[in-house]
Amino acid sequence: MTDITKEAMMPPRSFLSQDAIQVFYRLLAALLICAVLAVLSDSFLSLGNILNVLRQASLTFFIASGLTLVVLTAGLDLSVGANVALSACIAGTVIHKTGSPALGILAGLACGGIVGLLNGVMVTALRIPSFIATYGMLWVLNGLTYWYMAGETLHGFPAGFRQIGSGYLFGLPIPVYLLLVFLGIGTLFAQRTIWGQEIYAIGANPVAARLSGIPVARRLLLVYSVSGTMAGLASIIFLSRLNSAEADIGESLTLPAIAAVLIGGTSLFGGVGTVFGTFIGALILTLVLNGMNLLSVSANWQPLVTGIIVILAVWLDMKTRHRAQ
Amino acid sequence: MKHKLGYLALPLLMAAAFTTQARADGETIAVFTKNQTNPFFQTVRVGADNMAKVLNAKTLQYIPTKPDSIPEQLSQIEDVVVKKPSAIVFTPVDYKAMVPGVEKINEAKIPVVNITDRSAGGKFLSFVGADDYSLGLETARFLLKTLGGKGNIVIIEGVKGSLTNVDRVRGFNDALKENAGAKLLASQPGNYQRLQALQVMENLMQSNSQIDGVLAANDAMAVGAIEALDGANRKAQVIGINGTKEAIDAIKSGKLLASGDYNGFAQGCLGTMMAIRSLRGQPVISEIVLKPTVITKDNYQPFDVPLEQRTCPTFEDAGKLGGK
Repeated sequence: MTDITKEAMMPPRSFLSQDAIQVFYRLLAALLICAVLAVLSDSFLSLGNILNVLRQASLTFFIASGLTLVVLTAGLDLSVGANVALSACIAGTVIHKTGSPALGILAGLACGGIVGLLNGVMVTALRIPSFIATYGMLWVLNGLTYWYMAGETLHGFPAGFRQIGSGYLFGLPIPVYLLLVFLGIGTLFAQRTIWGQEIYAIGANPVAARLSGIPVARRLLLVYSVSGTMAGLASIIFLSRLNSAEADIGESLTLPAIAAVLIGGTSLFGGVGTVFGTFIGALILTLVLNGMNLLSVSANWQPLVTGIIVILAVWLDMKTRHRAQ
Repeated sequence: MKHKLGYLALPLLMAAAFTTQARADGETIAVFTKNQTNPFFQTVRVGADNMAKVLNAKTLQYIPTKPDSIPEQLSQIEDVVVKKPSAIVFTPVDYKAMVPGVEKINEAKIPVVNITDRSAGGKFLSFVGADDYSLGLETARFLLKTLGGKGNIVIIEGVKGSLTNVDRVRGFNDALKENAGAKLLASQPGNYQRLQALQVMENLMQSNSQIDGVLAANDAMAVGAIEALDGANRKAQVIGINGTKEAIDAIKSGKLLASGDYNGFAQGCLGTMMAIRSLRGQPVISEIVLKPTVITKDNYQPFDVPLEQRTCPTFEDAGKLGGK
């Protein structure tokens, strides 16, 4: 293999790479939104509100962080929201039946992970395009969850368990700690490990990746399993924060997660993007909704503004990348 | 001769009476509800099953797999028209968009009762529903009475433009207008979703240091708002609508002030009852709009019974519950 093909296949992922510059732009955009909101609303910059924004962004981030890896391989996981719903219902049932939050957490993570693994099997062994495989999975999961819950909700969980989603440690909400931990793990994994590099390579050029000896199928299985497990984690946070599980939460979680990945600069064509970018994406989404609530902007504007931001982010991304090349 | 005829006629008459009786039993009622996710429709379905059982009929439940899906309910109607059940109890997933579907049922000459959301068109034997406007008005009045007619109020709305939300929020606002001391701080949407309501409440608490009352357009959002208040160690009186099991539990534990009973169980019972009575040639009530009940810590007991153990109202009760 010549140096040139190696370079094209595996671009160096140092911290000052092109991705870092993209992340910088997004950070700037987030700060700009903050500045505008700080001028418009007195309460925006209060510590309480900043913690609010971080905690609200964390749920979207957990789902979107695993999804980022999938998108980096040029795939998509449309089943994440439905996976959160099923995992939450299963975790909730296990806690009710056994009285053990630990077993419930394990069940939720396992359910999420198994669904992810099945997605991976469909994509690798059956060679179904991920968009279709996970879309099918979305229906399967909805069907299972609706049947299982039969219009009921599960509610009322032990106070200790509730701490995960609602508790504070040294003045910071616990989900914010988890956010920082998974942001760190995700970033290190993607930028600093061989597996992470291989995932970028698969997204950039799957044929070249296979020819250069990367076990593509195994890495894809890993990536979909991670996405599913992160949905499982999100289900635990959801359950603990809201004190209830219901069947119809999926739909309201999938699209914001995909939007966070896209606003964060991860390309749907694969090979380009960062987990940190996704964090900023989740933050921007949350800031916009938070700002509109603080300013009492009419409800109808909220989805509209979100849509425009997604389109703008993707467009700007293509513009700036084009120039960089 | 006369005697002989008489002897012959009596058993014949008796046989005829029995066959009429037999023919009157065992009807199949197709019950259409909007989704499998909202606990409310589960209460409707249990009510319908309960009544069908009492009257020796059967139900077939039709529920879109994708919640509130218009095309799916339309194709379910097409299926049912071919299958020809004895009668249909129908909740449109969208009160305007399903009118062509109702017309298909009418063309097939299958008797149909409209429940819950009033269809914008089509011919129905009877309508059974609750009044969203008075539910909003009465629950909000109760909240304001508890607050002494004054205080800072926020409204958490359901899905903008949906029939239930428009009427409930109109009721909330009219109750606020009756109380000069009450101040509406904000009216933001939670789309009937718990998580969205929780986040909206968290955000509103940042810009409003004093919130005394929360009017939520359904119970899931009310409970979401309570979680947000608890998380911030703040107190406010919260009301919801629908009278779900979760809401009853929250009322018992003193976290929720009240919930408006949307009475899905009675809607399911009475809708099915009207359908079967009409098939058996018995009189029906053409319109039953159930009066709102504000469920509070003083009167929750009858609602704190598992659905399966509840009993349907009788025909005589139906008139008292709100027949016209």
